[in-house]
Amino acid sequence: MNKRILSASLALAMTVGLLAGCGSSGGGSGSGGTSGKGSSWKVTCPWAPSGVAAMVSQKAAAKSTQYSDKITLVAEAIAGDAATVNTWVMDTEANDPELVFVGEGLLSITSIIDPSKLQFKEDDFVFVENLYSSIFVLSAEANLNIKTIADLEAYVAKGEEISVAVNGATGSEAFLAASLFGKMGAGDKLKLVAYQSAAEAAQAVAKGETQFAVSHQSQIQETYQQGSVTVVCAFDEKAIENGPFAGVEGVGEKGYPYFRNRCFIMARAGTDEATVKELKDLYDKILADEEVVSWLQDTMLLEVDTMSQEDVDAHIENVKSIVNEYKDLVAG
Amino acid sequence: MLQYIVPATGLLFTLENILWINIGVFVGSVFAAIPGLSVILCVILFLPVTYTMTAIPGMMFLLGIYCAGGYGGSVSAILINTPGTPHAAATMLDGHPLSRKGRTKAALKIALYASTFGGVFSALMLLFLGPQVAKIAAQLGTAEYFMVCVFGLTIIAGVSGKSIIRGLVSACLGLLISCIGTDPMTSYDRFTFGIPRLYLGLDLAVCLIGLFALVEILAKAEKKLGELRLDTAKMHDDGKISRQEYKRMVRPVIMSSIIGVLVGIIPGTGASEASWFSYNTAKNLSKHPEEFGNGSVEGIAAAESANNAVTGATLIPLLTLGIPGDGTVAIMLSALMINGLNPGLSLFTTDGDIMYAIMLGLILVNLFMFIQGRFLTTLFAKVVSIPQEILTPIIVIFCFAGAYSVNENYFDVAVALVFGILAWILRKLDLPPVPILLGLVLGRMTETNFRRALLISNGDPSIFLKSIYCKIFLALIIIAVGAIVRGKWKEQKAAKAAAAAQKESN
Repeated sequence: MNKRILSASLALAMTVGLLAGCGSSGGGSGSGGTSGKGSSWKVTCPWAPSGVAAMVSQKAAAKSTQYSDKITLVAEAIAGDAATVNTWVMDTEANDPELVFVGEGLLSITSIIDPSKLQFKEDDFVFVENLYSSIFVLSAEANLNIKTIADLEAYVAKGEEISVAVNGATGSEAFLAASLFGKMGAGDKLKLVAYQSAAEAAQAVAKGETQFAVSHQSQIQETYQQGSVTVVCAFDEKAIENGPFAGVEGVGEKGYPYFRNRCFIMARAGTDEATVKELKDLYDKILADEEVVSWLQDTMLLEVDTMSQEDVDAHIENVKSIVNEYKDLVAG
Repeated sequence: MLQYIVPATGLLFTLENILWINIGVFVGSVFAAIPGLSVILCVILFLPVTYTMTAIPGMMFLLGIYCAGGYGGSVSAILINTPGTPHAAATMLDGHPLSRKGRTKAALKIALYASTFGGVFSALMLLFLGPQVAKIAAQLGTAEYFMVCVFGLTIIAGVSGKSIIRGLVSACLGLLISCIGTDPMTSYDRFTFGIPRLYLGLDLAVCLIGLFALVEILAKAEKKLGELRLDTAKMHDDGKISRQEYKRMVRPVIMSSIIGVLVGIIPGTGASEASWFSYNTAKNLSKHPEEFGNGSVEGIAAAESANNAVTGATLIPLLTLGIPGDGTVAIMLSALMINGLNPGLSLFTTDGDIMYAIMLGLILVNLFMFIQGRFLTTLFAKVVSIPQEILTPIIVIFCFAGAYSVNENYFDVAVALVFGILAWILRKLDLPPVPILLGLVLGRMTETNFRRALLISNGDPSIFLKSIYCKIFLALIIIAVGAIVRGKWKEQKAAKAAAAAQKESN
């Protein structure tokens, strides 16, 4: 009996000591601004570690020491979207050395479709920088032989069911598909098939599970080069200018709605302006690095896209207007 | 394949990897040598350690534990007639009698040699078969994946213990728990009760700490543990194995390694099944069947090579399809996914260098297991005598520190505690915990593919029988379930016959 009491006391004392230690060294340790000696800033990406945003964040983090003696960016990816950002907001306060990615998915889509899921407001963040913009493309099963918007309009006019593979049930891709086919008057024929990742959605069309897919350019590139799919159009104002999809028509040219995918780096609201500026300057230097620029353009098929607060607001409002118009097609 | 081997070798042979392999092998050997501490418990406790590592050292560490656990279990089986892990039970039949004959070191040596051969053989099979299976996996669509998941769920029949019904109840509970979080098809919340942290669902590693580790502590608190006294003087024989004995070991080791690989590839079967099956096969093929049970070198060699030959084979369905071959490798899936490595063909192409480094690393793990076994077995054996009242608090610390470190919050510590209590209640109800784990791992994948396939087919269930792969998996499901149910039925029949015979003799 004595041994059991001894064992239980030992376990209790060690556990309490350990957890108390964990708490005191945990989030909010507040190394504060960047004015002191070197400080690490954790950049949380709330999407899959293999996703585009996580990879770009990783690249930027790797470059940070090259452009700053004071700030070291440490990239971390915790898939979970709203839940991860909720947790981040709960665990941080002004001037904590923590940054987070927030995209139009949360600020423009979830805020309208399922606002109860968000435990934060836009005011909880202060904008630091936007790293890139990605032009989504619509790909079609090769057998359909749809290569232009005119081909697509002719196909839609036949009145057949249209199935589109998208990443997530209510993500950016779903709304782009809904806005395009909805504007064509085929909203009632549209069937959105949700996949767990953008890469999986891109593969679905090649396997013939759906007729179309909306994805990042890089995610459809391999399948496109193998001839399993055709790329119909880009969700942008004009045709794509560079890369393997150069010349692919932009839906904006034909009057269809569009938006680019952007993911903003945010700090906690109340963080010193000077600190935010220093972080923005660091990101701008990294994004001007030739190696980063060519990596983004040639490998990731993305564009460097630094923005101001006004640009961010305009982007969020544009996406919100599309979501409000087509939410019935996506969320039923 | 060759284009990946060279960069993989560069990635693998770093001081960091070698160090983690050796730490893993040491920890695995020690844990498995202590009766009551299983390999699965060890992997769960140390999984959070890998969250700060990159994929290769993290997997090397866990594979070190996994493989060495296969050998470590034999140490106590040979020395004190108590298997450190369940799959060392067959080793005990001949290992301990040989030890009693004054040949303890020889018995341990045979176990080590056989384990190493089985492990290396299995790693080579993974290296050559893995990429081929991955190519097939790349052709599978949503409906086929659902059939793969159902095939994976047949594991439940194999890990249900005495009662398949109880196993199914546990599995349903696991499937239900896997529903917590955001609905993958509609993005609506399920069972979150307004708790923001539950939107993400429950972290597998945290649940496992409660289900497998904390429950062991609660169970230990309930019973008085006898002291395990080991007389290390037993190990003072010269450990020599004669040429004749080596010759006799060759056939059972090769046969058992093949059996181990075949058994390991099939989800639902594991090291225990492989070692018993191999032991019986070796006995039937032996020229000296009368020696089995009395210290046969063939018996030890067969059982040990088989249970280590399972290690690489269980990784084949895991890395190619995301279907774990057994409970322990199911946990390793977390270590892969935290590094953005999703099972499938892309793992062997996009991340080919990392994947080949891990597969080659498995060979290295077995070689270091051999080296540590040769020089540190006496130390592993002494660990058996560590008093439980010292070991238990250390495990408690690992449990709570592990749960906290997954996402660095106290909510997960509470979740682990809840799961620990849940597992303790389930134990009282005689419901096995491993099916819950499988339900948790496969639940979301099964549900998503099922619902998506029906969405694609507009609700027509014939989509699950359309392709040739669906038909193959359906046949495999029927064969696997049939074989497992038949095995259980035979077991029950044999138990009834034994009970009747005992009644008659009384």
